[in-house]
Amino acid sequence: MSTELPLFFAGSDDEDDAVERNGGAELDALQPQSPVGLFLTDSDEEDAIQEDENNEAQAALDNQSPLESSDDPDIMLVDRVEMPGSSSVTSMSHPPTPITSSPPPTVDTRMDGSRKRKISHEAAPVAFATAYLGTFMVGNAWSTVRGKGYIKPGDEICVERDVPDEPEAKPSALKSKGKGKASEAKGKQKQLSIATLLKVQQPKVKKKCNGSVVRLTNKRGFEFGRLPQDVASWVSTLLDMDIVDFRGSTMIDCPASLHSGADLIVSLSVYIRASAFRVPSTCLMETPKVMFNEGQESQDEQSLRERKSALLRLFDVVGLRPRRRNAGCRNGKNVEATLRDSDLKQMSQRRGGIARASKPTKIEVVGDGEEIEVEGDEEELSEDQLNTIYNRAQKNDQTMQQMEPAETFTLNLRGYQKQALKWMYSLETGSSDARELTSLHPLWNEYAFPDEPTQGGIIDLTADEKPFYFNPYSGELSLQFPTAERKLGMGKTIMLSALIQTNREPEPAKEENEQPAKRRQLKLNSAFRPADKERSNKAAVKSTLIVAPTSLLSQWSDELTRSSKPGSLTVLVWHGQNRLDLEAALDSDGTADVVITSYGVLASEHAKSEKASRPSPIFQTEWLRVILDEAHHCKSRQSKTARAVYALKARRRWAVTGTPIVNRLEDLFSLLRFLDFTPWSDYSFFRSFITLPFLGRDPKAIEVVQVIMESILLRREKNMLDTDNKPIVDLPPKEVTIAKLEFTLTERKIYDSIYTSAKRNFEDLNARGLLGKNYTHILAMLMRLRRAVLHPSLIQSADKDESIEVDDQVHITSMIKEFVGEGSGVFAEAVLGNLDKSDQVECPLCLDVMDNPMIIPGCIHQCCKDCIVAYIAACEEKSKEVNCPTCSQGPFKESDLLEVVRIKNDSAGADSADESRSNDVTLRKNNFRSSTKLEALLRDLKCLRDQDPCFRAVVFSQFTSFLDLIAKALQREQFAWYRFDGSMNVKKRNEAVTEFKAASRSPKILIVSLKAGGVGLNMDCWWNAATESQAIDRVHRIGQEKTVHVKHFIVDNTIEGRILQIQKRKTALVKEAFRGTGDKDPDSLENLKIMFSDG
Amino acid sequence: MSLPKETERLVADPAPGITATPHEDNLRYFDVTIQGPDGSPFQSGVFHLELFLPEEYPMAPPKVRFLTKIYHPNIDKLGRICLDILKDKWSPALQIRTVLLSIQALLSAPNPDDPLATDVAKHYKEDEKDAQRVSREWTEKYAMA
Repeated sequence: MSTELPLFFAGSDDEDDAVERNGGAELDALQPQSPVGLFLTDSDEEDAIQEDENNEAQAALDNQSPLESSDDPDIMLVDRVEMPGSSSVTSMSHPPTPITSSPPPTVDTRMDGSRKRKISHEAAPVAFATAYLGTFMVGNAWSTVRGKGYIKPGDEICVERDVPDEPEAKPSALKSKGKGKASEAKGKQKQLSIATLLKVQQPKVKKKCNGSVVRLTNKRGFEFGRLPQDVASWVSTLLDMDIVDFRGSTMIDCPASLHSGADLIVSLSVYIRASAFRVPSTCLMETPKVMFNEGQESQDEQSLRERKSALLRLFDVVGLRPRRRNAGCRNGKNVEATLRDSDLKQMSQRRGGIARASKPTKIEVVGDGEEIEVEGDEEELSEDQLNTIYNRAQKNDQTMQQMEPAETFTLNLRGYQKQALKWMYSLETGSSDARELTSLHPLWNEYAFPDEPTQGGIIDLTADEKPFYFNPYSGELSLQFPTAERKLGMGKTIMLSALIQTNREPEPAKEENEQPAKRRQLKLNSAFRPADKERSNKAAVKSTLIVAPTSLLSQWSDELTRSSKPGSLTVLVWHGQNRLDLEAALDSDGTADVVITSYGVLASEHAKSEKASRPSPIFQTEWLRVILDEAHHCKSRQSKTARAVYALKARRRWAVTGTPIVNRLEDLFSLLRFLDFTPWSDYSFFRSFITLPFLGRDPKAIEVVQVIMESILLRREKNMLDTDNKPIVDLPPKEVTIAKLEFTLTERKIYDSIYTSAKRNFEDLNARGLLGKNYTHILAMLMRLRRAVLHPSLIQSADKDESIEVDDQVHITSMIKEFVGEGSGVFAEAVLGNLDKSDQVECPLCLDVMDNPMIIPGCIHQCCKDCIVAYIAACEEKSKEVNCPTCSQGPFKESDLLEVVRIKNDSAGADSADESRSNDVTLRKNNFRSSTKLEALLRDLKCLRDQDPCFRAVVFSQFTSFLDLIAKALQREQFAWYRFDGSMNVKKRNEAVTEFKAASRSPKILIVSLKAGGVGLNMDCWWNAATESQAIDRVHRIGQEKTVHVKHFIVDNTIEGRILQIQKRKTALVKEAFRGTGDKDPDSLENLKIMFSDG
Repeated sequence: MSLPKETERLVADPAPGITATPHEDNLRYFDVTIQGPDGSPFQSGVFHLELFLPEEYPMAPPKVRFLTKIYHPNIDKLGRICLDILKDKWSPALQIRTVLLSIQALLSAPNPDDPLATDVAKHYKEDEKDAQRVSREWTEKYAMA
């Protein structure tokens, strides 16, 4: 069986990393044992090929039998993708005729291979050596010899390249010899062509120096003429790259006696060779360094380009038109017109121009509020564009099939979840009928093989069903339907849990034990396993690795456990200091079905294993499936997290995120890279075909993204409809309100002074053009401003008043005693004794019933809180002593005031309220300095408590220090609160959430830092609306039965309003993804300018 | 805020000898009358005043001024009143009613030691009887009918 391995290698579900990193080593290791190893060398192993050059022919012969034996089942398995193999002239559709069918799959490149893997996990059973493409006439070939007898009209001729110098002599000789004998000895020729196939990569670069001479020879091998330069220029490329074969070409007309320069009219029949379907060059994918000098055109890129234009010429000349066209090019002319060599250069120039041109407008635009609106409109448009992108990805979703989860799955799935399961399952198992794939890969065109004029060979006329595919952008050819699967998009823990349980792949081993039904999968397994052999069995496990943000680890674990029958699923959370020995856990025969870890752990393990010689088991393991939750965590392709994620090895990869595009289009790239969705996972490719066109405002780019999305994205939105036109998610309504607040005088002063100085600073830097350099400094200023909006004390580093004892309750009885002791106690005693009853006392200042009464300690006079606070502020403003407004006794401080706290006691009946005495009334020191926002929050919560005594609220802020203050305030108001932020360990967070969720009849409040919790009451706005709305949506989604009210507290006329503006901009950006190429700043600087514009 | 409530009470439950009526077009502006206290040189006189509540009220004191001419050491020719609670002794717990009562009390007990109309104060200090006579004359002349 091991001999089969190369056959399936390309189509296997193996992941590229393994190949990339180990290709070389394995190759070396394998070669001595078996020349089969040769076929592993898709492209990057030229050296190895060279070494083995001498053995080539032998190798080819050795291969013969295994290839043949494995041939048939392979072809039979192909269900969806019909291979055009049998359409070719040659006899290879008859098994006895050896091998010719085999080379294509074996040499199939990683580009092809990985694509196929995504389609259906099929191997690549391309089965032909050459296929007829068409015939064309060349009317102005010319003769190089003089005399008769060389050639006469109707004779068969051969088309050959120049015989190159030294090292190429042998292959070329082989080749020409092969061609020369093509019509007589096909079998032999084909054998030899195997050898030449293997050579292709190597000679082509060197051959370039030989110019573009294409010789015409007669059957005896004598050169009698050449093709004209204009034809030779591209024909030579095709020949050099071993793309075509001109066997069966004939001389149409020539003088009976040749002389040098005589016109020859020849008819060239073009056969495309199987080797053409190898990828021309794969170094783009392999070498990460390409990412960093992507501006330059490498040699490979150059040859790619030549290949591409040559093929385009060929198709043009033989009149081959695409049957189906990719979204990118609308007509044939266009393809060629837009794909000229200079294309990329133009693109980048255009980009430069645009950047330059658009800059001034941007600045203008930020000038004042009005114009920002204008730009907003522009973004609206492109919002539609993004919607189009997603819509396309969703258009067939309504009718998608459903699938029941495995029995071990204990929860009920909603209809749309079953659909998703079906979809995911199909993609994993390879039957991709879940969603009709109606679109071609965006860059590919579909061509039909034309019928070959009868000519003695066996013609198989199912030809119209045998398309091949050509990528006019890269010059690639493929026989596979070039689409890909993989999903990114909003998904649910549950769905994935169902998937994990439903599609537990059979144990990867069982090499000899194929069951027909599972053949395909097993094939895959056997395909990659030998490559892993040296690393023993542990390398491939049946476990699923889930990478999630730390805050969600326990949720994953809980959900997985909850959704499965007890004992049916073992979950290991691999996190924290005392991480278990992962190897041991995995080794002991699948004790852990699911391993959950965090991005942080992954990144640090990656860093460790880069240093250590021995990589961490997490990277060594070949996972059955890797799921990235909140996959936008690895959006920056150069971040440590992202690189760690790329290093994971897996057979199946899923990325789950609500925000595939966070800031810029290239966020998408990182996901594609992880998903290994070639060719888009190649940065320069992505950049060339998506980012740059985007910048050039080329609508093609959007279409390209659309098609990518369609093939790999399953997007679920809360407002989507299912097959019955019901919303797929029936969630309680969500109400979003924005509460605009007004600063108090003092707060306004503090804020304004900070703002003015920040603005001055900013303008100064702006004037001197130093904004970019001082970016972080400005951000720091902004942070300060944002804190100032929340609470003044957040910017006063050492605030003397903030030493708050938690236990600041004062007992009334002790107060009374104190006053009685002092003698003047009658009034005091009366007041304090009556506190609980006297809720009808009038405030001396506002003459209203006191709302939130405060007691002035010296004289026991009362005022309502608002009045006394305003009074104190007024006094301070006039720098007067603060005395009691009623009796002028004093002075006192705000923090001396005692607040009378009445807790409404619902358990006691209304009439028994008088009896329920001082239990319900307490005094506490007013040593807590509040702020506008905090007050608003508390007011809101108290109001909620009155309306719904067992409400749940979640309060978000981005600043943990503000959370501290909120916590204190809540404590004072005697709310039960729980905290959830990044500084807490998983266990604590878990507890907090569990307790918060636990049913009770009293109100509970969860305070969450925006980043950690990613969600109810928002105390400030974060730059990125996606972060914010995702946070909110999570609260909305998870276990909610009541209406969710979302309230943003925004202080009027502060930086927060402007942040809202920016959020609007950003939302638009996500939707259109038109901005942001690597250079961080234009966008950000613009944001900053909005911050400081006085709109 | 507290304004309508205070006004309402002022109108509904006036202090003896005092009226305060808000202007229809400006509720912060009041027409006020104060009867001269019995036993004072201002007895039987009805003095008209204007009272204005500034924006900051009750954190800032109301502004009050006599419209009727009055011969009083703490009230100048323009009707301005020298009264501590209208200045630094103001407290938001004081109200229009208390202010007006205080003014009424001031009529009963002029304080020439803290004068505003210095000539009147001097007169009161040097010859209180004669000064009271002038006050009575002014009251008859300006504050009656």
